[in-house]
Amino acid sequence: MKLGIPHFGNVSVSIKAIAQQLGATDSLIIPPPMTQKTLNLGVKYSPYEACLPYKLTLGSLIETCELGANTLAQARGSGICRLGYYAKNQEQILRDLGYSAKFLTIDISHNKLISVLRLIKNLANDASWYEISSAFFFGISKLFALDKIEKVVQEIRAVELEKGTANKIYHEAIRNIDEATKRKEVKDITKEYIERLNHVEKNNKAHPLKVGIVGEIYVVIEPFANMDIEEELGKLGVEVERTMTLSRWVKYSLFLNYLGADEWRKVHHLAKPYIDHDVGGDGWESVGEKILFAHKGFDGIVHLAPFTCMPEIVAQNVMPSTREDIPVLAVICDEQQGKQGLLTRLEAFVDLLEFRRRKNGRRIYNTR
Amino acid sequence: MSKVGIPRALLYYQYYPVWRSFFEHLGAEVVTSPPTNRTILTAGISRAVADTCLPVKVFLGHTMSLIGKCDYIFIPSMTSFGKKTYNCSKIIGLPNITRAVLPECPIILDPNIDLEKGRWYFYHQIYKLASRFTSNSVKMKKAIDVAWQKQLAYRKKMSDEKITSNQALFDLYGSSHSASSQKNPQGNLTIALLGHPYITNDEYLNHRIIYHLQNMGANVLTSEMAPQTAIDAAATRAVGETHWAFEPDIIGAGQYYTEMKVDGIITLSAFGCGPDSMMIVWVEHRAKETKTPFLPLSLDEHSSGGAMLTRLEAFLDMIKRKGTKLPTPTPAYC
Ligand code: SF4
Ligand code: SF4
Repeated sequence: MKLGIPHFGNVSVSIKAIAQQLGATDSLIIPPPMTQKTLNLGVKYSPYEACLPYKLTLGSLIETCELGANTLAQARGSGICRLGYYAKNQEQILRDLGYSAKFLTIDISHNKLISVLRLIKNLANDASWYEISSAFFFGISKLFALDKIEKVVQEIRAVELEKGTANKIYHEAIRNIDEATKRKEVKDITKEYIERLNHVEKNNKAHPLKVGIVGEIYVVIEPFANMDIEEELGKLGVEVERTMTLSRWVKYSLFLNYLGADEWRKVHHLAKPYIDHDVGGDGWESVGEKILFAHKGFDGIVHLAPFTCMPEIVAQNVMPSTREDIPVLAVICDEQQGKQGLLTRLEAFVDLLEFRRRKNGRRIYNTR
Repeated sequence: MSKVGIPRALLYYQYYPVWRSFFEHLGAEVVTSPPTNRTILTAGISRAVADTCLPVKVFLGHTMSLIGKCDYIFIPSMTSFGKKTYNCSKIIGLPNITRAVLPECPIILDPNIDLEKGRWYFYHQIYKLASRFTSNSVKMKKAIDVAWQKQLAYRKKMSDEKITSNQALFDLYGSSHSASSQKNPQGNLTIALLGHPYITNDEYLNHRIIYHLQNMGANVLTSEMAPQTAIDAAATRAVGETHWAFEPDIIGAGQYYTEMKVDGIITLSAFGCGPDSMMIVWVEHRAKETKTPFLPLSLDEHSSGGAMLTRLEAFLDMIKRKGTKLPTPTPAYC
């Protein structure tokens, strides 16, 4: 078997680690990083009005098929929007293209943990459950490490003197963590890189603008889908924060939710006056998070939504009516959005935020 | 007597009889907005975020036309009608969207109909709703029972008599529901028209497509004209486990009518509709496999009836000439 997975944030780093631990590197095809080619492939073979995550994952799966994958993993679930349809539709499209890959679906609405473990079991059939679970924990430890480093990167980007330094370090960290083969190593690398990030030359007087990133999970997490919006905001001297990360998803959806913990309780509670039940996808959370960031004293929100994304359109309609007064920049992610246009909008948004801050008598000392 | 407003849009076409009968049995008067017109459409467009789909904009326009004419507006959150099948997010969040963009709206009655959460949740929601009108639980129970019977009869009437929602509503409630299309015309071609009932029945939005097709000599079949159980089963045959509440209407009916060997299939969707983009691919695939001529049409705010007519004529001509060449699969905006 040759398993292919669609590219999504740092997921492939963790799957690769799992495969390595199980000695099954040969049965895994690592998806190439997303490029314009991935997008073009996805757009070409997807229905025109499909959402961007659909198009990108399709493009990515086609690329893994080209590299020889014959079994493909894709998320599935009910009650969570079009995602339920991804695998069904994409399988048909791939078949029409002449790839006879089999789909393994990961149910991410019910029995998530079992689905994920079963997928891993598929990688190495004769491995015992003990081996599988230890490989699994090793794999996700990489996700946790990367998210921890990224959090520091988000802070440093805003205040570093030479723009791009933190990012360079971050990419180096990803490479090194990817190569690590022991948990101890992962830990050491994490520590080392956080240290290095903290020593980047920065403007110590700056109180950077703070912007919260909310929206649909795929475009929020995958930098290619949002055109590196966090990095671009960093260049403009803005510190970003986002609640949604892969490690958080793993921590709650695969473990703590089973014990009754609900990571969104507070966010849902804050959204109650406007939306009081799930509307699919991440629409409910987007509205609640806007309020949460406003309470935390953030300067603004960037709301990322794929074009035609139903839950986020609900959120977009509802957001302006909340009592909290905080500027929201809605960014629609699709193949038509050009980077230059985005940059112009970001600059105007940052100007607005600066203006509001000055009006309130607070200073910024920007590094721009 | 308190007045409950029901906007003539979205799930209205599927559930009006049950809603109306329920409120009337509780002693309320039901006010319905007029059929869609230019004013309603423009009003709706002016209030929603631009990327919102056309049917939701139309819905907001209808709601606005009811403001000042009623004490309550009924906008249920129709989340799920069965195991693991959900509605579109925008329909689930409809009361929330409306409240946010139309703050001047009277009290919105928004029970959450979520059968996935079980029977008791459902009864609780209905009880909460009904207790605004009566505290008599016998009366409530009766209202539910009668209303549900009405609904079943309505659904059966459409499939038995092979008529559209509009025509059935006309028979039941009279002139305010007139439809321009005829019942059971004797055309020489049979065309399946697939789309959400709120698109295929809104004659302003769809430029009276059924009427025009009939004039061109076609019998038009819509999802309402097939028995519910048949299209449910057909949807399962086509895609296995279903996810969406409206899959039977589009994929199910598509499967059912291709099996019946109709002469052509037309899908009618709204620009910006997420679910349709996924489902139409299936229908198209089915059509290709069975060599059934297929025409995808998409409506938007600026669509004109003229362009649609031209496409319909060309499509029917092609079928009449027994052409097997399939039209381009990208949707045509008309
Ligand atoms: S939440 Fe939005 S992006 Fe995700 S599957 Fe649904 S429509 Fe697509
Ligand atoms: S199903 Fe499509 S048309 Fe209907 S509300 Fe959802 S997005 Fe709009």
